[in-house]
Amino acid sequence: MFNFQQYLQKHTPINVNQFEILRKNLISKSLKKGKVLLNEGEKTNVSYFVSKGLLRAYTLDLNGKEHIIQFAPEDWWIGDRNSVYFNEPAVFNIDVLEDAEVVVITKAFMEQALDICPDFGKYNIYLLHNSIRHMQNRINKLLAATAEERYLDFIKLYPDLTLRIPQMMIASYLGVTPESLSRVRKALAQKHFRPNS
Amino acid sequence: MKSIESIIAKPAQAGMVGDGFRVFNYIPKGGITQKRISPFLMLDFNAAYNFPPSTSGHLRGVDVHPHKGFETVTIAYKGSVAHYDSSGNSGVINPGDVQWMTAGRGILHKEFHEESYAKKGGPFEMVQLWVNLPKKDKSVAPHYQAITHSNMGKLLLDDNAGEVNVIAGDINGINGPADTYTPINLFDIKLHAGANFEVSIPQNHNTALLIINGSVTVNNDQVASEHSFVLFKNDGTTIQLHADQESVVLLMSGEPIDEPIVSYGPFVMNTEGEIREAISDFNLGKFGYLD
Repeated sequence: MFNFQQYLQKHTPINVNQFEILRKNLISKSLKKGKVLLNEGEKTNVSYFVSKGLLRAYTLDLNGKEHIIQFAPEDWWIGDRNSVYFNEPAVFNIDVLEDAEVVVITKAFMEQALDICPDFGKYNIYLLHNSIRHMQNRINKLLAATAEERYLDFIKLYPDLTLRIPQMMIASYLGVTPESLSRVRKALAQKHFRPNS
Repeated sequence: MKSIESIIAKPAQAGMVGDGFRVFNYIPKGGITQKRISPFLMLDFNAAYNFPPSTSGHLRGVDVHPHKGFETVTIAYKGSVAHYDSSGNSGVINPGDVQWMTAGRGILHKEFHEESYAKKGGPFEMVQLWVNLPKKDKSVAPHYQAITHSNMGKLLLDDNAGEVNVIAGDINGINGPADTYTPINLFDIKLHAGANFEVSIPQNHNTALLIINGSVTVNNDQVASEHSFVLFKNDGTTIQLHADQESVVLLMSGEPIDEPIVSYGPFVMNTEGEIREAISDFNLGKFGYLD
């Protein structure tokens, strides 16, 4: 919970006293690697803030192949807006890739936060725009960019995930085959590796 | 006499490193921080474990991963490991041998059970010790020292009490072959039951023992049983061991490196900024490429 408090105080106008009020309706959870938080088709009314560890959202195609939509390491939010905000069945599966501590974010929390701190709305709007910007960029890159450009974007967004998850998950997120990702990394190494300098 | 600070029993649970190393972690843990035990950063002990024969050509091990800013020392007691790196080097670490790898400015490598060992399976017993590099040497080019049982310094104890294989440092003027960046002793001590052994270690060295096999009485005082870890205070120079049974003991000691330590997974640097740079260099292929 401390990480969430720090996060809110760093990024939003919510102060210590306001957080103390909000804290009463917040629940943190410790989750083990492999835990499934949401299955596609279910309904949910909660999202998650990741204090520690790593979560992901993904879909499965008709052949059972995973397509990773988002990773959520520390300080990221993850949820299925379709279900949380539109009360429709979830589009994504959400599970835990590394043992995690999360804060469960309910609609009630968002409403109470706005009530207590009207300026929190500004941050929420910023968060929404940031998320939309990110998704737009992702659509553009998936349609129009080379595998290398997508990888370079990925390491900018998630610098240390290359050390935390297998290559095949990165490939799944990038929408390329693991072989193609290997070629990208090999080409980058050929460009940048100076063994004898 | 170097007095005992603590004796730590074998951790309750082993963890898997990849699928080839079933290790108990002793450093860093609890009170044994990387600063307290500097220049040692990490100690994993694959206590003797029988791996079944590998089937369908699968070799157990750890796939490609990077290291930067320190050295990895792999001490093989039983079983064999094959390794490959991003500079095109490869080799096998056989029982009795030690591989001293200086990751320096960055390397990618992978380690697997050696094929003929893997096919048969059987006992596997190894230590991996990470040794920090001082700031001025963190950017040296990666390299290896292949230290074999035959080129280690050898001290035969009187009355056939046992022997000490000197991997690094010196004992009674007998030197180990490892070139180290800061003063370090690493001794593989093999004692027959009932043997007494005394060793002198500089007072300022951070010093510890890992009881690989058997059981020893330390300083005529406390019993260190199999797989326990003995941490010494920096208050004297002599350590006495009495083997309560046939025993194998790893002694590590080193002069502390008085610099900030910032660790992130396989990178150990002096500042957060250097860690970010290491991650970026790794992502951009500056450590090379390895399939």
